[in-house]
Amino acid sequence: MKVRFWGVRGSIPVPGRATNRYGGNTSCVEVRPNNGSPIIIDAGTGLRRLGKSLMEESFRDGRGKASILISHTHWDHVQGLPFFSPLYREGNQVEIYARQRDLHLEAVFSAQHRAPYFPVPLSAMHAEMRFHEVIEGANFQIGNAKVSCTRLNHPWVAIAYRVEVDGAAVVYCSDTAPFADYLLGTDFVTQAPSLDGPLSPETEAELAHMRAGVIHLARGADLLIYDTQFTKEEYRQRPHWGHSHPDDAIQISREAGVKSLCLFHHAPLRSDDDNDQILAQYRDVVTAQHDKFTLVSAYEGLEIPLGDE
Amino acid sequence: MKIRFWGVRGSIPAPGPDTNRYGGNTSCVSVTTATGGLIIIDMGTGLMHLGNSLMTREFGKGQGKAAILLSHTHWDHIQGLGFFAPVFIAGNRFTVWGPGPYGSAEMLEEILEGQMDPNFSPLQTLKNFSATFEVKAAPTDAVFEAEGVRIRAREHPHGATTALAFRIEENGKTFVYASDVGQPEDGAPPAADAIEFYRGADVLLHDTTYRPEDQATRRNRGFSTYEDAAAAAVAAQVKRLVTFHYDQDYSDDDVDALVASCRNALDVRGGNTIEIVPAREGDELTI
Repeated sequence: MKVRFWGVRGSIPVPGRATNRYGGNTSCVEVRPNNGSPIIIDAGTGLRRLGKSLMEESFRDGRGKASILISHTHWDHVQGLPFFSPLYREGNQVEIYARQRDLHLEAVFSAQHRAPYFPVPLSAMHAEMRFHEVIEGANFQIGNAKVSCTRLNHPWVAIAYRVEVDGAAVVYCSDTAPFADYLLGTDFVTQAPSLDGPLSPETEAELAHMRAGVIHLARGADLLIYDTQFTKEEYRQRPHWGHSHPDDAIQISREAGVKSLCLFHHAPLRSDDDNDQILAQYRDVVTAQHDKFTLVSAYEGLEIPLGDE
Repeated sequence: MKIRFWGVRGSIPAPGPDTNRYGGNTSCVSVTTATGGLIIIDMGTGLMHLGNSLMTREFGKGQGKAAILLSHTHWDHIQGLGFFAPVFIAGNRFTVWGPGPYGSAEMLEEILEGQMDPNFSPLQTLKNFSATFEVKAAPTDAVFEAEGVRIRAREHPHGATTALAFRIEENGKTFVYASDVGQPEDGAPPAADAIEFYRGADVLLHDTTYRPEDQATRRNRGFSTYEDAAAAAVAAQVKRLVTFHYDQDYSDDDVDALVASCRNALDVRGGNTIEIVPAREGDELTI
């Protein structure tokens, strides 16, 4: 399989010279099995360019099939969907997987297309769209690929996915805060919570359970893509925003025994030079610690072949 | 009046090396009045960068005040709001003047509230803003006043919906903002009352989303071509025409060519004296 990055940014797209090399589009990753239709993870603004590229294949003739796994529906993870050209071509089939919630998924995704916000309603998209509600811990099959998922620590809950096909596994773990200091749920947190106070036993147990789920999901993965929006210092100022940092991602990678860790979901105002510097700094760390995994930082256009040729 | 461009792109932000010169952020323009008042027009992703620059001023201390004129609520005109740092500082005051369906400010507020819905935004509700954030329906039948200047709004067709154009006047100088302008029909001349609304403006910022050949394959989306903009500028005898809201697929070189074609379109209509100013992120224009 091949993993290709179309959007690597968190929160909001950031055009401009400072992001030319890593890219300014929000989260979108394409997993392409050797013989199979694309499995797309998240539908940030990077999805627009992926859609254009797919229109050069069978999607142009309305014979394309794609699946989209949604980690959660925050704008930076769904905003590309109305601009995904294959949806405007009759005959194409697009399967959308996202976490079950109170409202049916089709209603959630329709909201983005409502008249005050976007000119084309979801119901007017010509492709066949099907919505699949996923619960944490679910296992399912997409073509030859085995997909599993687990819960993350993010406001209103996100889920991580593992996709296994062609003798390799890629794990997408974004967005999430570390599983140590604070349990995020549906409450709006106005002030950064203190990281020094003790956790209640229930909270501690729930975070530990979530962390074990992530380690289990990432176990032995060929590639772990991880939310490292923050530096460690930035995380301490905003632990309630639901994002992690490279030190945490590295610790998870060690425990899960992954082969490669990919830093992902870069902060909007992180320049290319900042990203270079963070990558260099943490490459020194993993080298000094004799870690067995390689470290990369996601940029638009990065393509990583995994598993069987 | 000082006009500054923070986002000039249409529909969706377009990052990448081929949009560096004009910029890839969606619609946001600031107007600083002669007395120092701040009027922000549209809240596309350019708003985040405007907000960050305001934080070094009184807005960083919760002593800022601005009016926000909103043409319409399509994503590319509101998606910067949740990233506008000054709304998270108590003491700052913002008044939004936008299209209230049936003149209803409540409905406009509800639409803006929908953007913050917890399914989509960690902010959950506009009520989590620390600043004062008041939403008003902009009247389209009367002059209103914001930040000490007189403003008129006009509703023009925009695909299946409408968008507002704004005419801002101060000390005899006039700036008209007209983005996302659909013509009565693609290729038809601008409506007579639109021309009257633009009449004699020192600066007319007009939607130039498309080249005519691209509009042919995207019928009735409610945008203008550079031909439409040139026709409006000449008919309304404006002094300067600002091209704006470039299609997300246009590279800098494409926009260069669009601007050159627009210049030509002005000239062939007898608008040789009209200056053309292509909107570019970061550029400033003084009237």
